Amino acid sequence: MTSVTLPSLLPLWILVVPLAGATLLAAASRHRQLLGPITLGTGGLCLGLVVVLIMAVRQGFQFELALMELAPPLRIVLRADALGTLFALLIATLFPMATAYALRYMGDDPRLGRFLALVLVSQGLMLGVAFAASLMTLLAFYELFSLIGYVLIVHDRSQRARAAGLKYIVYIVVGGVFILTGVILVYFLAGDLRFVPGGLFAADASQRHLLTAWACFMIGFGVKSALMPLHGWVADAHPAAPAPFSALLSGIMVAAGSFGILRVVFEVFGTSVLTELGVMPWLALLAGISAICAGALAVGEDELKRRLAYSTISQMAYVMLAVATLGELALVGALMHLSHHAFIKAGLFFCAGLVAAGTGYTRVSQLDGLGHRMPRTGVLMTLLALAMVGVPPLSGFLSKWLLGAALLADGSIVSLSVLLVGSLLAAAYLWPLILRIWLPLPGPPPADADAGEPPSLMLAMTATSAVITTLLGLAATLPGLPLELARLAAATLLGGSG
Amino acid sequence: MSAAVHLLPLSVVLPITAGVLAPALFHRRHNACSWWAITAAALTLATTLTLVSEALDGGLVRYPVGGWPAPYGIELVFDGLGILMGSAAGLLTLLILIASRAFVQTEATPQRHSLFHGLVLINLGGMNGFLAASDLFNLFVFMEVFSISAYALVALARGPVAALAALKYLIVGAVSSMLVLLAIALLHAQTGSLNMSDIGDRLAAAQAPAAAGLALGCLVVGFLVKAAVFPLHFWLPDAHASAPSPVSALLSGLVVKMGIVGLIRTRMLFAEADIFSLVALDLLLVWLGVAAIVIGAVLAMIQRELKLMLAYSTVTNMGYIALGLGLATPAAVGGALAHMGFHALIKTGLFLSAGALVLSTGLSRIDDLRGLAQRMPVSSAALTLALLAVAGLPPTAGFVGKWQIALGALEAGQPWLIAVVMSGALLTLAWAIRIINSLYFLPPARGQVLTADEAPLSIRAPILMLGLVAMVGGLAGAMVLEWIEPLSFRILEAGHGH
Repeated sequence: MTSVTLPSLLPLWILVVPLAGATLLAAASRHRQLLGPITLGTGGLCLGLVVVLIMAVRQGFQFELALMELAPPLRIVLRADALGTLFALLIATLFPMATAYALRYMGDDPRLGRFLALVLVSQGLMLGVAFAASLMTLLAFYELFSLIGYVLIVHDRSQRARAAGLKYIVYIVVGGVFILTGVILVYFLAGDLRFVPGGLFAADASQRHLLTAWACFMIGFGVKSALMPLHGWVADAHPAAPAPFSALLSGIMVAAGSFGILRVVFEVFGTSVLTELGVMPWLALLAGISAICAGALAVGEDELKRRLAYSTISQMAYVMLAVATLGELALVGALMHLSHHAFIKAGLFFCAGLVAAGTGYTRVSQLDGLGHRMPRTGVLMTLLALAMVGVPPLSGFLSKWLLGAALLADGSIVSLSVLLVGSLLAAAYLWPLILRIWLPLPGPPPADADAGEPPSLMLAMTATSAVITTLLGLAATLPGLPLELARLAAATLLGGSG
Repeated sequence: MSAAVHLLPLSVVLPITAGVLAPALFHRRHNACSWWAITAAALTLATTLTLVSEALDGGLVRYPVGGWPAPYGIELVFDGLGILMGSAAGLLTLLILIASRAFVQTEATPQRHSLFHGLVLINLGGMNGFLAASDLFNLFVFMEVFSISAYALVALARGPVAALAALKYLIVGAVSSMLVLLAIALLHAQTGSLNMSDIGDRLAAAQAPAAAGLALGCLVVGFLVKAAVFPLHFWLPDAHASAPSPVSALLSGLVVKMGIVGLIRTRMLFAEADIFSLVALDLLLVWLGVAAIVIGAVLAMIQRELKLMLAYSTVTNMGYIALGLGLATPAAVGGALAHMGFHALIKTGLFLSAGALVLSTGLSRIDDLRGLAQRMPVSSAALTLALLAVAGLPPTAGFVGKWQIALGALEAGQPWLIAVVMSGALLTLAWAIRIINSLYFLPPARGQVLTADEAPLSIRAPILMLGLVAMVGGLAGAMVLEWIEPLSFRILEAGHGH
């Protein structure tokens, strides 16, 4: 183990900054004029530190820091590797956008301070997930995050929010218990819980135990990454939560489930053990079913946020589809899709929030003529929807291209066709949005036609996600952006297995 | 013999003397009496902690009473159980006494204040003596000291239920004490000795397996009643729920653990005698533990009164401890012992914070306590933290024991027991979330909730401390496991040395 040096504390600092910001917010929650500066300052500082970390990780540094010991083998260990840093970048960018959005979106909510403080706490915990260097650390941070997620989902305290929250917490907690069981099995079989590229297990480990552990992880992380048929909470939780947190649920929380599966696949089991177990085709099958069924459900869904939630299930299934091939190229594609999807989907949820704030409408069928009332929102929504479908040169296209190329190179024609059908479905569930926004209305414009655009900060955050989406599509190869980190991560993860 | 050794009898004599004097010196002078008790408890804690540091440095601390060496004289021994439960008893009694300043004024009639403080101190002295006793007769005497003071403490509460519950507790407790006394008589008749390790040596030579078996049976049943292990728990819910809240904390946190201490001493004695295999006893503990975990949690879930839920949760947790001891592997026994200490902390925090809610509102059903978090944020937060800990979420204090016990199940080759450990945690979380939901997310249903005042500082400070320690206490898990490792080693190795 490396000794504690100043740079090795960097992941810890990144994690502590949002938690400290949350404490400040809680202390200042009565002074509303302070909420904005504290939230944005914390987010900016955290993002700055992540950028410093990225510069170091690009140089090949890998930091590790052991903090506490739960039981003799159960250290809380933080490590900044390429995969974790990529995820941290997503978190550190998306969370400030969501909090800034929330400052206006929930501007007259008396409990705004509490909401923001909890979002910052969840940011810190999610950064802990990103930097976790062992299964136990990952699980501890993820479970705490999930519990805070419950509080944020039921923020409205409406009957509907409480019902969705109940469903969410049951799914998540049962999933967490499965993960914990898997962790215990892994520790029993391997005697260690650290993430090691190439896996932990000796060649002679009991197949039955390994399969049980694998099943536990798939059920546990499957719930979190919304793999069908474990997706029940997703479609209810997203519409119930306030729009900024819906964006984080889709962009970060569900992605973290996939992130956990990546860690388990490449750094706990390792590709050779998994190939021997023969479980990857099953994962591909489940992912394929998720991609297509969720896409079909999205086409039939009228409520905008629910439709987007189903779209998340479908899109995140691509990631699993690619992971199931265990190829390096596919892994790069999967990581790219994970990060690109986060910004696109967050932007779309921001749009849904803008529409709801401006007009009170929440259904797709109510979007008729939106382009005339809220032209800027309409433009952004169109752009983001196109990116989600995968229209070049937006970022959604790039990641799907990478995924498709990798699947083709791997010879997985079935998976490739699933990807294509999924994209067609994406077009089918997002195209009506665009049509309804821009097609001229048959009659005279309604009386409230000039309801006006919502506050500029919200619009600015939505525009930011649209700009990032475009930028990631046009200039993905710039150093320090997700593509470079994803390549580095894929090389690290698969390097160990030879 | 170093000077610190004399602290061992002091840790017993000091609280009992102070307790006996309390009603005489401070009749009807509540404030002075409270300070007297707090001072005595603090001095006892300091004594115990000195002993702990002595024991951690140099192994066991032995004190031959009157200078007569064992087995001819009486000897007090401060071992791993003393380190673990002695320090827990000292610390928690001190916190309970501090919190009692506010509780007792409402929950007991003024004439009984001095009695209350006296009895709590006598109880502490009894527990310290019980932990230090190395001969059966003193074990019995100190057991009666803490048991009888506990019956009286339950009866101190106002209202008819408490008197009835105390009577039930008294009768059941007296029967179990008689069983223990009978066993001691049997053993003394066979071996002519009362010193426990001496009996262990002589019992094999006595060649009276029937008498020894009867003695073992009586001791096990007697201590299982004291430990409230299912199905001998029936006295516990009423007694713990109807007692004044500080007394509930004392009973659920500490006094029931003494039954387990007795069970451990019994097991060590008979393992040393090595006249028959203890597999049947271990199997009994495993099955009783399994039943207690599941049934306790289910019964907790269907309760409507907050304190009754917590009382049934004690049944669950005593089940975990019994299961860990019964598995008889290093990890499981270590986990059971650690859980004894951690659960004492958590349960004290639970009962004191729940007591604070009940005290301020006069309401005890969770449906009536809806929305109380608005008016009593600190008490609700402390309760929430302790609830998450009792469910065993990583990295809380409740997690360490569950992890070790699950690991022990794998070591013992009984992986299905993991499902029991996990389902216990899930069921616990289910009712814990029900409480948290009521406090935070449901609108108030009763007027008292709207006018309730936050608990006074003397309650808030201890419960917040306990809540935070419960929440992050797991991070000190490795340290605690290290402390008790020699003890669990001795429990498992007793008898194998010959």
